[in-house]
Amino acid sequence: MILLEVTNTGNVSTVLFFGTIGMLALTIGLIVFIIFHQRKVIRYQLKLQRMEQDQQKLLLNASIRLQEEERQRIAADLHDDAGPLLATARLYLNENLVNLDKTTQLQSIYNAKQIIDDTIQLIRNISHSLMPPTLKNFGLESAVNDLFQKISGSGSMNASSRFHDYRERLQAENELIIFRVIQELVNNILKHSNASFVHLTQNTSGSKFFIRLHHDGRGITQTDFNKLNKSNVGLGLKNIQSRLKVLHGKIFFEKDMSQTYYKVTIELVKEEEGKLAEQD
Amino acid sequence: MLIALLAFFTEILPIVFYLIFLKRNRGEGLWVIFLYCILSVLTEILAGILRLPIIVDFYNIVQFTLFSLFFYFSLKDKRFKYIPIIGAVIFYVIAIRNFSNTGFDSFSLSLASIFFIPYCILLLYEQMRDSNIMIVYTDKKFWIIVAFFLYFSGTLFLYIYINTLPKDQQSNYWSINNFFEILKNILFCIAFIMKKRDKSEYSIDNLNPDI
Repeated sequence: MILLEVTNTGNVSTVLFFGTIGMLALTIGLIVFIIFHQRKVIRYQLKLQRMEQDQQKLLLNASIRLQEEERQRIAADLHDDAGPLLATARLYLNENLVNLDKTTQLQSIYNAKQIIDDTIQLIRNISHSLMPPTLKNFGLESAVNDLFQKISGSGSMNASSRFHDYRERLQAENELIIFRVIQELVNNILKHSNASFVHLTQNTSGSKFFIRLHHDGRGITQTDFNKLNKSNVGLGLKNIQSRLKVLHGKIFFEKDMSQTYYKVTIELVKEEEGKLAEQD
Repeated sequence: MLIALLAFFTEILPIVFYLIFLKRNRGEGLWVIFLYCILSVLTEILAGILRLPIIVDFYNIVQFTLFSLFFYFSLKDKRFKYIPIIGAVIFYVIAIRNFSNTGFDSFSLSLASIFFIPYCILLLYEQMRDSNIMIVYTDKKFWIIVAFFLYFSGTLFLYIYINTLPKDQQSNYWSINNFFEILKNILFCIAFIMKKRDKSEYSIDNLNPDI
């Protein structure tokens, strides 16, 4: 009621005039602020989307390059190893046609058979490295154990793995993706870290599925991983990230609290049926 | 006199444009504003013919109801939906108490303005936060809210002080109301003429391509 009391007409006119102007100025100011603020937010969101697109392009390019490298490797293995072996086997068999001496013939056939056996083994190894049958037939746990046994067996380092809670197998496609990620990580450890041991553990905690890799060599931290991912190098790491993105998983690189070993943790969300969660 | 005539003429324009562009305005919740415009025109005609202050009081109550409805339907956040209900209860109690044929109910009109200004700010805030609205001024409701915001901000002090002014000066100052009426009606026209916002085109979600 205080506002409705009047002192004199002159004062009222002044108050009315300045009050109206003031309210108008505030209103227009607020509307303009809202418009400009929203445009700023939209520009920022578009910038984020562009950055996301650039990152996706980088990952896609890395994925394509890695695929080409893999094909080149397979081609090189077949050309450099299998090719000469089969050629040599053919030479022995050709000699057989010419040489009529039975002992020499038997020796040639035996040599050719040895070479063909070696070639079969080589092709089997190439095939297994492309798609390990253990993974398809017996699951992730067996395939990883197999892989780590081979590494230990080669004498390059001490490799062990332990699955604590893997009673129900995941979907085949998801097992393959996880296996490839583990393979890539182990390859990196073998190539770059000079580690003497690597140990893999698998755990489940609620709806989450964890895989942890420990090694005592030279590793990378999460900062290094993020830096490498943004650059043009580090194809393998980009590949890991692409694969984990499919599963909506996360990866953490860190040095242990005791500063004696490096740890890589892969975290995935698990659904009740044993499938990994699909998000929109 | 000219500005009063102009104000009356601009009150008809939103009704005309709403009907011409009926397809564009369907399903946007603007029928409340259309009713409000019709009410304004009828009130002007009746007030001009009968010259009874009670008509303005009645118009004030119905205006408040219609805008509160518009505000209630436009609000997306359920937490804020109680605000127009509480505001309406308070307003009706005071307006009905002051309802009379003795003079211009300045208090109720001022109270309505004081309620509507924060309502407008709240609606604008919601529009800003709504990720479905890419650019805020491409939404029809934005222009409706701005129209009310400008009108009630501009006429707040007029409504507060109108009864304290001498009778001979009241009509001079009433030009402020006419000016803001014209502005409000033009903004209503803009809202009704605007094309319907294509929700799929402007959604922020659709700007995220899936490689």
